[in-house]
Amino acid sequence: MIWIIILSMAALVFISRYLLLEPKLPLKLSDKTLTFLSYSAPAVLTAILAPIVFAPEGHLDISFNNSYLVCGVVATLLAHFTRNTLLTTVLSIGLFFIIF
Amino acid sequence: MPEYDITDERDPKLKRQSFLKGLLAVMPLTIAVIPWGILAGSLALEIGLTASQSQAMSAIIFAGSAQLVALGMIKAGVGLGSILITTLLITSRHLLYAMAMRSQISPLPLKWRLGLGFLLTDELFAISNHSQHTAKANNDSVELQNNQNDKPLADTSHSPKLPLSSSKSPLPRHKFDRWYALGGGLTFYIGWNIATFLGIIAGQSIDNLDELGLDFAIAATFIALVVPTVKKPSILICVLVSLTLAVVCAVFDIQAGLLIASLSGMFAGVTYAKLTGEHKRSEPVKSADSVGEQS
Repeated sequence: MIWIIILSMAALVFISRYLLLEPKLPLKLSDKTLTFLSYSAPAVLTAILAPIVFAPEGHLDISFNNSYLVCGVVATLLAHFTRNTLLTTVLSIGLFFIIF
Repeated sequence: MPEYDITDERDPKLKRQSFLKGLLAVMPLTIAVIPWGILAGSLALEIGLTASQSQAMSAIIFAGSAQLVALGMIKAGVGLGSILITTLLITSRHLLYAMAMRSQISPLPLKWRLGLGFLLTDELFAISNHSQHTAKANNDSVELQNNQNDKPLADTSHSPKLPLSSSKSPLPRHKFDRWYALGGGLTFYIGWNIATFLGIIAGQSIDNLDELGLDFAIAATFIALVVPTVKKPSILICVLVSLTLAVVCAVFDIQAGLLIASLSGMFAGVTYAKLTGEHKRSEPVKSADSVGEQS
């Protein structure tokens, strides 16, 4: 069963990555669909990261004791002001492991 | 239809240089992904997968967030159908990445398309498009094609019409370099798998690896990738709605939280843009803010 899950997930993920790279594909995605899809990356990435940051223990924790939140805010500020992905990840993860 | 292969006639030495450049560009993100990979490997083991299954997840799925979410669902005893629907949603953003890189990758030979397609992650997309900030917006890119190329691309009749409302379709402002992309993609792939392997090894001897805070690496990476994309009010709305609902669902332990939060965020963004006429303002020409305002 686990192998079935792994293989079917792999197929899905690969298809989603490759499909629109295939030159033979007569691409007909409506503007509406494309506009909707253009929000998928920020929406999905945010939905994954938000619980990690705001509820690391499973309950809402907005306080200075929550290292995830503190470093998440630091990462957000770094990302916003430096616009540098690399700097943001390395510095905020470094800070996290220092204070966690 | 003919395979219009754009050949890369460069000296092997130059190809190697490009490959190395890609490797270096992705290195910090690869380092950032190590804790996450360790988590993926050790968590898989903890949930009851064998070592080879745990490694196979990273080796053949190669999608960190989908892997972790799926592991959580396997642990909760959720069925295959639900796992695949959730996977589809999580991976849907790759459709968009592929779409944005279609003009550069689709003319390549099949092995390159398959290879780069397989390696197309958030991180690879980020490094492949990150020289944008040197760009000056130009107004002739209604069609998604690499109009920064010195020579026009072959047959672009298959190029999708890209609605310019989409600011998530940054056109790289430099000539696409397949070796650079391969260097970046492959390095990240190897790093992810080594990290997973470390997690599997560590998970066999150390308990509670998931209490080390390794998952912060996920948050940091995604924050770094999301923040620069928030260029319009509608995207901010999308992010805030998604964030709020994801946290609410997590607190109340709602399994479909990711699905609910992401889709609501997407709808909220689209709706807001529609209500405020945001898309129309950036429709006729490539608006300056949709390209390369990374500075």
